[in-house]
Amino acid sequence: MLKATTSLGVIFFPAFDWAISPTHPEREERLLYTQDQFREEGLFDIEGISEHRPLFATDQDIMRAHFCFPSVEAICTESHRISAGGAIQAARLVLEGETRRAFALVRPPGHHAMKVVHGNRGFCNINIEAVMIEWIRERYGRKRIAIVDTDCHHGDGTQDVYWHDPDVLFISLHQDGRTLYPGSGFPYENGGPRALGKTINLPLPPRTSDEGYLYAIEQVVLPILADFKPDLVINSAGQDNHYSDPITNMQFSAQGYARLNELLKPDIAVLEGGYSIKGALPYVNLGICLAMAGCEYSGVREPDYNSAALRESPETMETIRQTCGYVLDTYFHPPMGDFEKEGDSFIRERKIYYDTDGILEKQREELKDCDQCRGLRLIKTSSSHLLPCLGVELPIDCCPACEREGYEAFARSGKEFLVSQLLDQKNKQFRYLPKK
Amino acid sequence: MRIGIDIGGTHTDGVLVDGSRLIAAAKAPTHHDNLLESINQVVQAVLVDQDPVRVRTVNLSTTLTTNAIITGKTEPVGMLVAAGPGIAPKHYRIGDHYHIIYGSLDHLGTETLALDEQDLEEAIAACREQGVTCFGVASKFSPRNPAHENRMVEALAGTADFISCGHLVSGQLNFGRRIHTLYYNSAVWRTFRAFTAALTASLKGFRLEAEVNILKADGGTMPLARAQEMPVQSIFSGPAASVMGILATCPADQDLLMLDIGGTTSDIALFAGGEPLLEREGIAIQERPTLVRAIHVESIGIGGDSLIQITDGQITTGPQRLGPCMAAGGPAPSLMDALNVAGMAAFGDVDRSRQGLAALAADNQMAPEQLARQAIEAALDALTTKIDALIRTVNTKPVYTIHEILTDRAIAPARLIAIGGPAAVFRDLLADRLGMEVMVPPLHGVTNAIGAALTRTTSHLALTADTARGRLSVPMLGIFRPVARGFSLQDATAEARKLLAADLAETGVTMAADEIQITQADAFNMVDGGYTSGKNIRVVAQVRPAVIARLDDTPTTVRIAGSP
Repeated sequence: MLKATTSLGVIFFPAFDWAISPTHPEREERLLYTQDQFREEGLFDIEGISEHRPLFATDQDIMRAHFCFPSVEAICTESHRISAGGAIQAARLVLEGETRRAFALVRPPGHHAMKVVHGNRGFCNINIEAVMIEWIRERYGRKRIAIVDTDCHHGDGTQDVYWHDPDVLFISLHQDGRTLYPGSGFPYENGGPRALGKTINLPLPPRTSDEGYLYAIEQVVLPILADFKPDLVINSAGQDNHYSDPITNMQFSAQGYARLNELLKPDIAVLEGGYSIKGALPYVNLGICLAMAGCEYSGVREPDYNSAALRESPETMETIRQTCGYVLDTYFHPPMGDFEKEGDSFIRERKIYYDTDGILEKQREELKDCDQCRGLRLIKTSSSHLLPCLGVELPIDCCPACEREGYEAFARSGKEFLVSQLLDQKNKQFRYLPKK
Repeated sequence: MRIGIDIGGTHTDGVLVDGSRLIAAAKAPTHHDNLLESINQVVQAVLVDQDPVRVRTVNLSTTLTTNAIITGKTEPVGMLVAAGPGIAPKHYRIGDHYHIIYGSLDHLGTETLALDEQDLEEAIAACREQGVTCFGVASKFSPRNPAHENRMVEALAGTADFISCGHLVSGQLNFGRRIHTLYYNSAVWRTFRAFTAALTASLKGFRLEAEVNILKADGGTMPLARAQEMPVQSIFSGPAASVMGILATCPADQDLLMLDIGGTTSDIALFAGGEPLLEREGIAIQERPTLVRAIHVESIGIGGDSLIQITDGQITTGPQRLGPCMAAGGPAPSLMDALNVAGMAAFGDVDRSRQGLAALAADNQMAPEQLARQAIEAALDALTTKIDALIRTVNTKPVYTIHEILTDRAIAPARLIAIGGPAAVFRDLLADRLGMEVMVPPLHGVTNAIGAALTRTTSHLALTADTARGRLSVPMLGIFRPVARGFSLQDATAEARKLLAADLAETGVTMAADEIQITQADAFNMVDGGYTSGKNIRVVAQVRPAVIARLDDTPTTVRIAGSP
């Protein structure tokens, strides 16, 4: 009988009664065949691999990570709370030492959900990794955390949540944004003025296969992690780089995914996308679980796997090598960004489209250029569906001046904004103020 | 009238029950090398002054298969195991004749690699050469497509006396468990068959014309004819009989705990709304997980004879046992001795208990009463920890729907039923510690036999349908047939009920339609290329373990049979 050499807790929650719509890729059937494969392979009979149910994320859990407008209630259904609760359960298992590693195999996903949330973008409402990370930091204090986003789509939501946070290193490997949703994730996206180099984007050309992908892990991701020395490594584990995925153009395999996790050694993995539900997910998920548990996985492969036919062309490999060299440098020597300033604040003005819900958000972010702390952040946001709202964020190291200014802005906001939300990381205050 | 027989490690108990009345009870020593002798003794005893023709049912819980496996008195089994990619079949190697045949099916049941005929031929030739005549055939994903297993069965024609075939054993997916189940089933087949033949002959001698059922680990019974095909299901029926005995003798319609306190160990079972909880997938035999359905029973090394030790000032009770307690002539102080010293019991030679504890206490500069109290506390601590962990495990078991997360009722037992030798002594101690009402039911001396007598036939089946491919399968019944595109979840549950009832009827068991429970009924919209292509339907139907009557309170004396 097989034994895990590294204990692994799997939160397997297929949400068999939830779908975005009956034929949407995010539907009840998504993890059905993965469950069949797990059961037939007896994954949970392996000594050291255990199965757990998700916890349930509360309003507070979500308000630590997000500005949800007009309210948490309006954004999150039970499905999102349970999915985030699955990630929290994974964190609990690892941080309480119940298992050495954990994999939240849950849906719906979350990595396209940004700091401000008006609705569903790219199948995501709330960012389940971010909710989990804030839960960890609330209970276990300030930690250095590395998120490696291995979904085929750029993890633009997670990037946005941690854009200004130097404690969180975000690395996204994805199919080149010029060829795939959401169309972002270029190497020059390197983080905000206070967290420069803590956002790393590694776009890979379409048809990248095992060799190219693992080259990027070994040549870029591992050296950066070795330098950053995180307390926790999180794999934001999308499975849509697979050669059979219907909505992407990559040629990664179950063997590749398993090897990736063997190299990365994530403490926690959280499922993101991946929609080849019959041809990829059963094998990829099995491979990831075995690799995370330190079990032999060489026998795990798709019935139609043919590594020779999938191999990337020499030109593709060359492109990958060049990108990797450049991207590695953006970590060690991030180029000084072209940050716009008004008075003593950095300004970002953006329009964000929520493709699933058809919402267009208009956002203005003001980040105080403070020499005492990371700076108070005010986010003014309105949408095609909602009057202006305000998010007030006080960073973990907030100085007294920024703290005072933040609370004043929050108290005043009732006159001007429909709803405002306070996110005070320093004093752990999270609340809404509706319009007077 | 019904006869229930429970063959235990030391005693064989028998009861005769008429409706809800216990007519007679008997006890005889268990002769492990001649179980039939013990059975005959108790049957004879309970039938004194009774008309055997009135007995309609004989239910038997036997340790035959359990002991055969534990003592290694099993026969060699040729295992033919077909698998391709995934976790390698070598990890499930069992027995000395384990052959891996190349060939594979995927999770939809599609053949992805044809069965290697040469591998198969060589494996069978090797078994034949070594005189192996009992076989188990398993292929990965056989409940989705039995073709590879059927082919292996076909190839064994003329070689095998008996074949256990994977998909007929369970519709449940789990390759490793399937392999283990098949192995044990074939390993005990011949022993079990010989026993049942002798049993049938012997019961005829008593002019009994009753149907004979064998108790299973899930607390239900199976008709003898079924038992001959699936003898492995008769394993570990003892604890199941005691759980069913509780159901038959106590008001048990809410959440409750059962604690069966023995000499070496205690067994803990949990009832949800009066129903015993089953193992999620199946019980483990010799630490190998199987697909044998069983009541979930947790064992803990605390019993009357649990050894008391003091290591670095720390007092522990159990899990070791050096022999009986000192009060019964044992070599070292045990839990029962502590209870004697603490004045909570007066079992056997109380003075010996005192001497034993006094000596151990003196070595550690303690008063004997203090040692006794702390040893009892240690035992209660261990029991409480185990009980709490069991309840927590059950209440946090994985679920797969939002509905279940939101509506799942937490199981919160408010009553504990204690049985077994020292049960009465523990009543108040447990009540104080657990904050629960603790009941010690009368009749506990023959509870297992009563459970055996009054339990009913259980059965289950899994039905899956894939309307995109137009396939319906009920692996355990060997049904794999086409299905219409419009086949619905409702059709599927109706079909599952019908098939289960028909299958039971075939063995002479009539079951009302409402006795068949549907424990899973899911239909998944299948999408291919952006369009709905069909439904993937999964239904599980079962007849759950239950007793057909609850015993009334009329006292009955237990006859001691088999001794002069």
